[in-house]
Amino acid sequence: MATSAKGSRWKTYRPVIALSVLSMLVCGLAYPLLITGVSQAAFPYQANGSQVQLGGRTVGSYYIDNGFTLPIFFHGRNETNPLTASASGVDPDITLSEALSQVPRVSNATGIPVPNLDALVMAHEHWTLWIAGDPYVNVLELNLALIAAYPSSYPGYS
Amino acid sequence: MIDAIQALTVIGILAAALISGSLLAPYVVRVLTGAPTRLDRLMDPVEKRVYRLIGADPSMAMGWRQYFFAALCLNLAQMAIAFAILVGQGILPLNPQRFPGVSWDLALNTVISFATNTNLQHYAGEVTLSYFSQMTAIQFLQFTSAATGVCVMAAMVRGFKPGSAHMGNFYVDFVRVLTRILLPLCILAALVLVALGVPQTIGGYVTVRTVEGATQTLFVGPVASLVAIMQIGTNGGGYFGANSAYPFQNPNPATDVLQIYLMLLIPTTLIFVFGELIGKKKETRPILIASYGLLAIDLVIAFLGSIPVVGPGIETRFGGFFSTFWTVITTAVTTGSVNASLSGINPLGIMSAFMGMLIQATPGGKGVGVMYMIMYIVITVFVVGLMTGRTPEYLGAKINARDVKLVMAAFLVHPISVLLPTIAAYATKAVYAIPGFSSLPTSVGFTQVLYEFASSAANNGSDFFGAAANTQFFNLSTAAVMFVGRYVPIAILLALAGSMIGRKRVAEQSLRTDGAAFSFVLVGSILLLVVLTFLPFLILGPLLTYFQGMVNFFG
Repeated sequence: MATSAKGSRWKTYRPVIALSVLSMLVCGLAYPLLITGVSQAAFPYQANGSQVQLGGRTVGSYYIDNGFTLPIFFHGRNETNPLTASASGVDPDITLSEALSQVPRVSNATGIPVPNLDALVMAHEHWTLWIAGDPYVNVLELNLALIAAYPSSYPGYS
Repeated sequence: MIDAIQALTVIGILAAALISGSLLAPYVVRVLTGAPTRLDRLMDPVEKRVYRLIGADPSMAMGWRQYFFAALCLNLAQMAIAFAILVGQGILPLNPQRFPGVSWDLALNTVISFATNTNLQHYAGEVTLSYFSQMTAIQFLQFTSAATGVCVMAAMVRGFKPGSAHMGNFYVDFVRVLTRILLPLCILAALVLVALGVPQTIGGYVTVRTVEGATQTLFVGPVASLVAIMQIGTNGGGYFGANSAYPFQNPNPATDVLQIYLMLLIPTTLIFVFGELIGKKKETRPILIASYGLLAIDLVIAFLGSIPVVGPGIETRFGGFFSTFWTVITTAVTTGSVNASLSGINPLGIMSAFMGMLIQATPGGKGVGVMYMIMYIVITVFVVGLMTGRTPEYLGAKINARDVKLVMAAFLVHPISVLLPTIAAYATKAVYAIPGFSSLPTSVGFTQVLYEFASSAANNGSDFFGAAANTQFFNLSTAAVMFVGRYVPIAILLALAGSMIGRKRVAEQSLRTDGAAFSFVLVGSILLLVVLTFLPFLILGPLLTYFQGMVNFFG
């Protein structure tokens, strides 16, 4: 009697235990590792965090605020004023108007004329709705473009 | 207010979800009924082997008790596995950052949170969990909780279907939903997300020297595979503490739109599945009109207020419009992911988020949204029957006194599990243990506490506190609320559906439930029920904040 009761209990709980382990192996290991393998082969740049190079050295990610503080660069919003910080704390973008408001400072510090900087900012505009919405710029992208366009103003950076 | 392009964007995304939902529904029905599909040649032998391996008889028909206990036991066993992994992650592989094991109360909260499809997170993943934990505890439970939701809904519908003799077999439903719906959709979505910029690696965090020479750590990991299931499964728990506000989880407007769409996809599909599975396609109509009608009302409330400009709590790449839109959708489908800090959303947006979490069926979470809608329909049929003096009937079955008691019990679980803990949190002064929580009674503080429990009970998971609520009181109280908020209504509604089996059905109902008139009555009765239940608390919270803002505005 005792063994048959034990046997029927095992019959009831075996699917529960076996299926929970099996579902963990499939959903928790096989699936993410499959996605990792395919992504590393097909989209290595994105899969590894969209790393950005400068002068052959990895300096950060396109999607993470690079923490610019020197007056010769445009600054992200997380450095300028903690009270207006983003939700993530690493927002890589600033609004177009914020970027334009920083142009006089960058111009002062580097000697690059204001109209040239305005044009550079406008050339790197993105929108929250593809071709519409609110305009913004990626700070790291903008500063790297600045270094590339005016290498003599940024000695030691390229 | 929003402009024309933004309004068109809202309509476009909702229309896309509705169209793809109606197209996907017939396939989901074939999966749930075992009808032939193209995947059969590939999947049938695999499934047969799985059933043999786990020792389950796929031909065994289950009653509601067997079905529910199979689901509950499987979920409990899965929680136990995930709990062991979280607590023991310090000695487990794939932990390049060498994170120590998670504390027992946080681990308990986390596994209940993910197994109940809530995904409330009292931790920041990027500084707490190893790759192994993110994959084998978090992503694992995100799949299984989503699959469980679809299964119990299918069982409930089978009970209501005229002429059906049983509720199906849980193990068969679970395996088929996982392998034929969730995994294929997630593989596709995850790869698209990677292509759009979401990382997917197990190579360890990357330390770099920034342009100016400072040291910076890039929190890369198996992110895309998690984001796919967190949105498709209406889970909402993110890889990062900042959830989909963190750029690696949601790098640009394209991924933002894709994630909003993915959240809506399955809940919308299941509305169409209901009619097809029940055998009366027209019965989808009241559920569709009520859920999307209420969602439209939520959106109007949220967009009536001023749309926040880029400022505290709002990410530049999304702006105020996408942040508000996301907040409404994520609560409407009880996903709970966020792409902004909730403190950056205006009080009317928060009010609208509450509506989503309190109604739980606009269109609601995976599977359970439809279940709650059936609950509201039964209540409405009963009330209308009383008013018109006709016999209340739904799908040809007479609604009796026991049915009404059951649906009222299911309905009352929600207010009880939201309101009592909110009061307890204040009465025991546990709220003041949260770092930064104002010691003065403020409407903003009250909103945050009410939101915490509404989000837990609705199995939503978005919150104001995040890792700040990692206190023993909040870990244990929200764990209990999430558990009750998930399994008690499911048990009651399955019991209701089980009692429908074998009940006599009339061919012609005295009150039709598939027309526009009934749909409007349904919307009205849902609003009446929910608003009357929660209004005093909403007045103390977001509405007070809103009117205080108006007073301050007028000087």
